[in-house]
Amino acid sequence: MLKYFAKRIVLGLVTIWFIASATFFGMHAVPGDPLAGDKAMTAQIRANLEAKYGLDQPLGTQYLIYLGNIVQGDFGISYTQENRRVNDIIREHFPISATLGILAIVFAGLGGVLWGALTALYRNRWPDVVIMFLVILGISVPSFVVAAISQWSLVGANLAAGTTILPIGGWGTVWHMLVPALVLGLSTMAYLTRLMRSSMLEVVSTDYIRTAKAKGLPATQIFSRHQLRNAILPVVTVLGPAIAGITTGGFVVEIVFAIPGLGRYFVQAIQQLDYTVIMGTTVFYGAFLVFMVILVDLVYGLIDPRVRVEK
Amino acid sequence: MTAPSLSPEDFQPLQSSVSGQQLSRPSLSYWADAWRRLKENPRAMASLGLIAFLLAFVSIGPYLWQVDPSAQDLDQIGIGPGADRSVTLAAPFQPWLPEQQATTLDDNMLGFTLAMPATTQAVRLVWTMENGTRYRLYRNLFDPSDTGSFGLPLAELDRSYFEDRLDLQAGTYYYSLVMLNADGSETTSTVTKDIQVTRVISAAEALQRGLIESEDDAQLGMALELAWHPLGTDYLGRDMLARLMYGGQVSLFIGLFAPLAFVLLGVIYGSVAGFLGGATDQAMMRFADFVVALPFLLFMILFKVIFGIGPGESGIWPMLVAMIILLWPAPARLVRGQILQIREEGYVSASRLLGGTTTYVVGRHMLPNTLGVILVTITFQVPSAIFTEAFLSFIGMGVAPPTPSWGAMCNEGIKSMLTRPHELMFPALLISITVLAFNLLGDGLRDALDARMRGAE
Amino acid sequence: MSEPLLQVENLHVDFQTYGGVVQAVRGVSFDVFAGQTLAIVGESGCGKSVTVQSLMGLIPMPPGRIHQGSARLRGQDILASKMIAGQDIRGSQISMIFQDPMTSLNPTMNVGSQIAETLEVHRGYSKSEAFARAIELLDMSKIPEAAKRAKQYPFEFSGGMLQRAMIAMAIACEPAILVADEPTTALDVTIQAQILDLLGDLQKETGMAIILITHDLGVVARMADEVMVMYAGEVVEKGSVDDIFYRSGHPYTQGLRQAMPTNNKSTEAEQTLVAIDGSPPDLFNPPRGCAYHPRCPYAMQVCAQQAPPTSILGPTHQTQCWLHHDMAGALPDGLVSGNEAGR
Repeated sequence: MLKYFAKRIVLGLVTIWFIASATFFGMHAVPGDPLAGDKAMTAQIRANLEAKYGLDQPLGTQYLIYLGNIVQGDFGISYTQENRRVNDIIREHFPISATLGILAIVFAGLGGVLWGALTALYRNRWPDVVIMFLVILGISVPSFVVAAISQWSLVGANLAAGTTILPIGGWGTVWHMLVPALVLGLSTMAYLTRLMRSSMLEVVSTDYIRTAKAKGLPATQIFSRHQLRNAILPVVTVLGPAIAGITTGGFVVEIVFAIPGLGRYFVQAIQQLDYTVIMGTTVFYGAFLVFMVILVDLVYGLIDPRVRVEK
Repeated sequence: MTAPSLSPEDFQPLQSSVSGQQLSRPSLSYWADAWRRLKENPRAMASLGLIAFLLAFVSIGPYLWQVDPSAQDLDQIGIGPGADRSVTLAAPFQPWLPEQQATTLDDNMLGFTLAMPATTQAVRLVWTMENGTRYRLYRNLFDPSDTGSFGLPLAELDRSYFEDRLDLQAGTYYYSLVMLNADGSETTSTVTKDIQVTRVISAAEALQRGLIESEDDAQLGMALELAWHPLGTDYLGRDMLARLMYGGQVSLFIGLFAPLAFVLLGVIYGSVAGFLGGATDQAMMRFADFVVALPFLLFMILFKVIFGIGPGESGIWPMLVAMIILLWPAPARLVRGQILQIREEGYVSASRLLGGTTTYVVGRHMLPNTLGVILVTITFQVPSAIFTEAFLSFIGMGVAPPTPSWGAMCNEGIKSMLTRPHELMFPALLISITVLAFNLLGDGLRDALDARMRGAE
Repeated sequence: MSEPLLQVENLHVDFQTYGGVVQAVRGVSFDVFAGQTLAIVGESGCGKSVTVQSLMGLIPMPPGRIHQGSARLRGQDILASKMIAGQDIRGSQISMIFQDPMTSLNPTMNVGSQIAETLEVHRGYSKSEAFARAIELLDMSKIPEAAKRAKQYPFEFSGGMLQRAMIAMAIACEPAILVADEPTTALDVTIQAQILDLLGDLQKETGMAIILITHDLGVVARMADEVMVMYAGEVVEKGSVDDIFYRSGHPYTQGLRQAMPTNNKSTEAEQTLVAIDGSPPDLFNPPRGCAYHPRCPYAMQVCAQQAPPTSILGPTHQTQCWLHHDMAGALPDGLVSGNEAGR
């Protein structure tokens, strides 16, 4: 088990190195090296960049400097804003995105398991039909449309009530988080519901559930101790990709709801072609996702004895 | 048991009429059987019909609805579907000289009044003037006493008249006049008037739009009808239906072509890895793992820069290339897993044992048995490719304006969502329908092609 | 003979499917006595598993339905709606082991807990008491290092060990009847013998009855006291082991016997294995008359018209076949009439 995860972490580090290198060489492969250009760059920023990245050095040296900075946890400095370090940007904006993301994933996970179990229990009866219809809807409607419609409904609700029931954007209190987190988690929840439902139906017809029935266990005990636990396993395995999906989905939700998270900042940087911020944030996001996937695997190992003992 | 009259003939040997070995059901080939089961799935067939309709909408549609998607109809900007198209022929715009015209003022607090009938050419307002006082004028689409706010002022004035010619549309506007204190703060002397603006057009304009044959036909006050936009227009007055058709070409092209391309690439990569096995397989799959970890958005930017996408260019190709380069590992993994599994199956060993060549084994056993999985994968990748296009266009990294795509149209529509919801709803609806259809088709295909389901009724 | 422990009478089970109604069990009756083993024999799909699963309430309802018949355990009807799903019968009075032990245990729960669960539910043991008893039961089922094994998960066990664990689980509450649904089919031949020995030993110790479902006549010969032969959802012949093996009165039983290899046949003809031609009938639409007539080498006109009457061949031996009717001619070779059986 320990050896397995040590191996996973080493592989994760190699993956991050791969991302960082691809980012670096990708950016330098762009014709007319964006880091050497002078678009939207003040003398102060240029001086900072040259000192930071050794822009007057050969490419190999620049690469080593760049890797060295990343190893020290330094993601660079902004290309369009004076004296702004990517680390500061991340430190300032990432906690907001992370809070929103964690809320969304908790909501998606709990909702997916709950609705999935419910639809499987009421297979082909009306709760199943209604929920599965909503799930198909949740999977088919793009997240920005869901975000827009829910914001629109919020405006309408506030107008109808004559007071602010829930804020339509911004950040600060729990009330600001509620709707964006719901919207962000929605498509993941729909996906997890589908997965949970088919997983539940598969478990229901297994031999060991028949054994549990033959033992004369009460239905509730069969459900909670045998069915649910085994059905959740496949749901846990897709949480890694789900976190990645929620991270990119966060970009859209943060824009629509005017939430000052890292996603919104990242999209702004993209639109302003702030190359250094894009590079730094990309590597940060890449590293974050790599470790999230390892974390999910770790959790899976704790739940499934087959993985726990074998590896 | 009561045996009703048995005769000795009853105990004569029975002529065996049926063979015990007869087959109960006719045997169908794998694909014929899959097609039969797909046909029995009403949801899959409905989605197949829907997809055919969408393809016809974007390919045949533009021939039936020959409207230039980038032509702006300045008379009808941002109108919804089924909006009133009537327009009155009026004299060309004449400058207003308010000092020379006496107008009877209303008897409200400020004498705030419309000087002459409001048209889309101009709204002319007058009021009583107290010397040295300044006024602030607001224009709203909703009654400000309901919304509780005036918004941004239209003008701040120290005279007794105002001519509004700013982007007027047919409909109701709420004009509010507020008297100001000497320090510039607002007093409670406020009057709000709702004003009906009628749409007018001059003879020259009508001729240019093809509404009348010649200027000789023109009579002032004549009722005409403007060009028809069945689904309304967008914020620049472009026809929504035409834009949806052309935008659909872009969205569906990316949605269909990208999955085909990257799944094919993945299939080749995965089957080579699965076939060679051993260390080569390990190395190839490790590389695939790294590619999965690469950030998508960054590559979009890179390709945009490398392709040198400037204003006026579509940006379809960089998106396509980025999707193909970054999304192949998932199908590659799937196919590799399938190949590894099938390689160990008894029927493959049996075929080899009976002298089947590699080509034969691959062509006869491996390919047909993975083809179903590949087909299902492509079907499920279509919705995600369409979403990706929409997502990228939404954050401004996708197709560049003025090229329409459903995602780009959503991006434009979301800005005016509160006042003109149709600009967001139509493209969003089409995206949703397309994604829904492909999801349902994918479900149906998966069920139909799953060999384990054969014979299960 | 003493009172039967379990009396099943005229049991009918069918399944409503999209293709129509499958009449899986059509009028099955049998008795089970304490300390005895009843073997139910037949081809795949003849309804033997459905028969016992309906007694255990393991038939999914719908689509399944017990639409006729009764089953009395010590005189108490267990098919009555509450009893069948109730926990007081299942697992405590009647328990069951299955064909494939590899998939019949929960993969995410350790073996000891899965055994202990039964005791907690039926006997009200505390968790630790139940687990301690589970270790004893594993030990009784001859699993070495039971204390260590109890904490392991099913995937760490071999197939034979898992079947022992299943048996330990089944006997946890000292049931009156143990139903073994093809308990050795998925196992190696050497392991099969060990499992059968274990079942035999446990039966001697506890005096429980065993209902053994199998298509392996070798297993029947080794274990059974009484045998019931089923075909197409019906009982075609019922009798003691000797009745069935040496005095069979039904062409199907004869066919099964001839399809079984043995090592004590003397003549050349007996050493040849004979397969039964054809396949079992479609239970959507069972044949009229005797269900076996399309495959029966001795079929007569009447067989295709009317269901055969029950012929009593001996005190414990009966069959359903027109060949035993007074009006039928001489019995074919190998089949035994009631008179001969009585000798």
